[in-house]
Amino acid sequence: MATALVIGAGLAGLAAAIRLAQAGWQTTLASKGLGGLPLSAGTVDVLGYAPALLGDPTGRVARPFETAAALAAHDPSHPYAAIGADRAEAAVGWLRDLLPELLTGDLKTNITLPTAVGALRPTCLVQPAMAAGDLAQNRSLAIVGPSQLKDFSPELCAANLARQTWQGRPLLATAYRIDLPARPDEADSPALAYARSLDQTAYQRRFAEAVKRRLKDEEAVGLPAVLGLRDRQAWLEVQESVGRPVFEIPLPPPSVPGLRLNDALTAAAQTAGVRLVLGSSVIGFAAAGRRLKSVTLRQAGRDQAWAADAFVYAPGGFESGALSLDAAGRLEERVFQLPLRGAGGSRLGGQETAADLGRLINADYWAEQRLFAAGVAVDQAMRPLDEGEAVFDNLHIAGGLLAGAVRWSEKSGEGIAVGSAAAAADAITGRR
Amino acid sequence: MRKLNADVVVVGGGSTGTGVVRDAAMRGYRAILVERADLAQGTSGRFHGLLHSGGRYVVADPLSAAECAAENAVISRIQPAAVERTGGLFIVGPGDDPDFGDVFLAGAKAAQVPAEEISPGAALRLEPRLDPKLRRAFQVLDGTVDGWQLVWSAAASARLWGGQILTYTEIVEIIRGSEGVRGVRAVDRKTGEAIEIECGFLINCAGPWAGRVATLAGVRPVEVVPGRGVMVAMAHRLVNRVVNRCAKPADGDILVPVHTVCVIGTTDVKVADPDNLAIPRAEVRQMLEAGEALIPGFQQARALHAWAGARPLVKDDRVDDSDTRHMSRGMAVIDHAARDGVAGLVTVGGGKLTTYRLMAQHAVDAMENQTGRRHPCRTADEICPGQTPGRNYLVSCRLQEREADRLDDQIICECELVSRRALLGLWDEFPQASLDDLRRQSRLGMGPCQGGFCSARAAGLACATGKADGAQATGLLRDFLANRWLGLAPVLYGDQVRQTALDYWIFQGALDVDHLPAAPNRPAEPPAAEDQGSPPTRRQASLACSAGPAVAGEGVSL
Repeated sequence: MATALVIGAGLAGLAAAIRLAQAGWQTTLASKGLGGLPLSAGTVDVLGYAPALLGDPTGRVARPFETAAALAAHDPSHPYAAIGADRAEAAVGWLRDLLPELLTGDLKTNITLPTAVGALRPTCLVQPAMAAGDLAQNRSLAIVGPSQLKDFSPELCAANLARQTWQGRPLLATAYRIDLPARPDEADSPALAYARSLDQTAYQRRFAEAVKRRLKDEEAVGLPAVLGLRDRQAWLEVQESVGRPVFEIPLPPPSVPGLRLNDALTAAAQTAGVRLVLGSSVIGFAAAGRRLKSVTLRQAGRDQAWAADAFVYAPGGFESGALSLDAAGRLEERVFQLPLRGAGGSRLGGQETAADLGRLINADYWAEQRLFAAGVAVDQAMRPLDEGEAVFDNLHIAGGLLAGAVRWSEKSGEGIAVGSAAAAADAITGRR
Repeated sequence: MRKLNADVVVVGGGSTGTGVVRDAAMRGYRAILVERADLAQGTSGRFHGLLHSGGRYVVADPLSAAECAAENAVISRIQPAAVERTGGLFIVGPGDDPDFGDVFLAGAKAAQVPAEEISPGAALRLEPRLDPKLRRAFQVLDGTVDGWQLVWSAAASARLWGGQILTYTEIVEIIRGSEGVRGVRAVDRKTGEAIEIECGFLINCAGPWAGRVATLAGVRPVEVVPGRGVMVAMAHRLVNRVVNRCAKPADGDILVPVHTVCVIGTTDVKVADPDNLAIPRAEVRQMLEAGEALIPGFQQARALHAWAGARPLVKDDRVDDSDTRHMSRGMAVIDHAARDGVAGLVTVGGGKLTTYRLMAQHAVDAMENQTGRRHPCRTADEICPGQTPGRNYLVSCRLQEREADRLDDQIICECELVSRRALLGLWDEFPQASLDDLRRQSRLGMGPCQGGFCSARAAGLACATGKADGAQATGLLRDFLANRWLGLAPVLYGDQVRQTALDYWIFQGALDVDHLPAAPNRPAEPPAAEDQGSPPTRRQASLACSAGPAVAGEGVSL
């Protein structure tokens, strides 16, 4: 049986591992720790903004894959160019079908959801618990939060919503507070504590009743995204007791919807037969010519060479430490020292001069920080490229390590992760 | 138009100005301080945090050394909560001249600065991260001081004695009559209100900006040469004592543990405009390499933030004006009655934060020399309000406070352990405050995540408590993040790149703060500088669209 080793337990690594195992490959997933999903909003962003392409200052994207195709044509260094928008769409559809309890959306159009500070964020797939936040459905909103939860201010969320319009009509939003700690007598209850309490039926009722008492005649009720961690029906219970549509609003990490996705995908990987090797970091590799033979995993107490026929490297970008910039200006990919490219395909890596860094790091916080578009350029099989040639024939890159996009600003992280994971797995298994 | 009346107006809310208003108020004068930004927002908040033992000056400037030694003891006594008595070391490194140690010891003895040689082994036991190849070590009484705490507690004392403190108030005109200074016109920069203060005396404590204030007064130019110093705060206390190179003072030869961080300082570059202080990456590199000389592996440690401060040096004809390090560090008190024939005006310049109280004393003495009235200075005798005698700051102070209230209050900033109650208390006191104003007093957002988690909470709190509407709260958040970035971008390497990526994922990825509609226009800024025929500075331009001044790299730790 052919063997594959996937490195990284974020969305890209998990998706690649599941797809490889489903195709009959004996698949191992090695990871240093938890992947990036618990840091995410728990939605699947494909492409939310493309101001340069659409030529208007906001650049809000309505049809994500259609615009991703245009973006790929406009900028061949963008990850969607190597992935292909149609392949990305198929991959995101595959993910939705893999997790029908957790992801919903029609793939064609973006859904606009309020954020915790009241911005209108476009995304492609949402969790069912968030769906009623779709501004296309409900415009008169109650925003409700517990006083003990410091990461959610219903007042800020509602006040910002109320000063915006959606499709030409003003939004109505009113803030309400409930006084209900996650655990008795707690002044500072974190989101996770609420989520765990809301896994319990009795607390679901108390929470819902406290919310219901506050409401006036709003169409829908926005709540912080804490409506159950393990109980996937918790939000439905709350909604039924409240008596009108409720929707979750994602919070800063650790994110409950992100953890739900992480748990569901990890379970799916195990069901598919993926062997998970946690607590292991990659510290080296062995290759013969363009064939990668093994990587060295450092685990508690020992270093071990793991051989495989094919490798998917999905370690993330700067946030995970897979890419690093040191005090002397050395920019590098940590394990394989792969060649690096920046926005527009510009050559990076090695020693960056102060002038180079000046171009990569903008003095204006709100301007695009091109440093974070740095990464690895790949071919259509997601193999890292050096001067147009694959560096290794059996090493494939997926997710945050790919060059060419600042994901948080265009809101494209999950689409690139799933799309590249599927492209890498399919290149390995020969699936078209 | 608000009309006020005072015996003396003090211009500049740094350590000197605040010391002067306290001193004058304690001597019984009706004193008003006007500061165009926040207290200790310029030079006094942008240094490395060293409370000098005097050791640094024993060879080059023994008089300063003796003053430092005396004032160190005074400040530690009257403002204990602002001072951590860390102690310090002077280290002769493997590349330094060991004979300089003898010169140092002799100088210390002459200047009455306590200093004692200890063995290299003993020094390494105290500070294990020091270069093990160090050749000699001397223990001194250096401490560390929080410039904001220092200035705010002096201000509280001044208020207790009837002094008034007007922050965000910019002088636009100094009114002179035949007898000399008669008053000032100023503008409240947050509300746009015009203020006129009638006074008999003006003390110019504007530090690097003192030349501009002198120009407003219409006297012969006072030449101030701002020397820019770049400092870098590291994410941990790599040392627990101040570590100095035992050599002739040079760039990057002091490492100062302050609160939970340590600060390496500092470069020294002559600049033209104290409002536009760049933080060149090359100077940051220079500081990191200097740190490496003291602590091997320094460059692999995590850097948090960088900032630049302007030294308020008054030009002295005896030295070349390109060498700001050796310009008058000693205090310069200019009596404009004697110098220019303009009565009612004194300018104070030079000096060090450690000797701010003494400088203030000399400034008020100079005023009394002119006016002929005499009152004793009592600023060294009285402890500032809100301080517990003998209880100096310890790095564990905040932990102790939170231990007491952790079950009944929220922690808004986990890095710096700022509670909801503490933050709201400050906000009630300063309802117009920006998040940066609150930061300087509470340390909000100054830890490793640099506001990644607390700034949105603080903005939410502003909205929840009615201190700001949605647009204003959004403006507070956006300004805070943009201002933090000015000091983050120059040290963006290593683990701080990871932190920055996480923070961007939060603010742009999850919250989409970048697409919130901009705040409607704030009240227009008063056309202060333009009225005087000079072009607006960048700071004023940026203020037109934001509540908080955007000035490069404000101190993370001081």
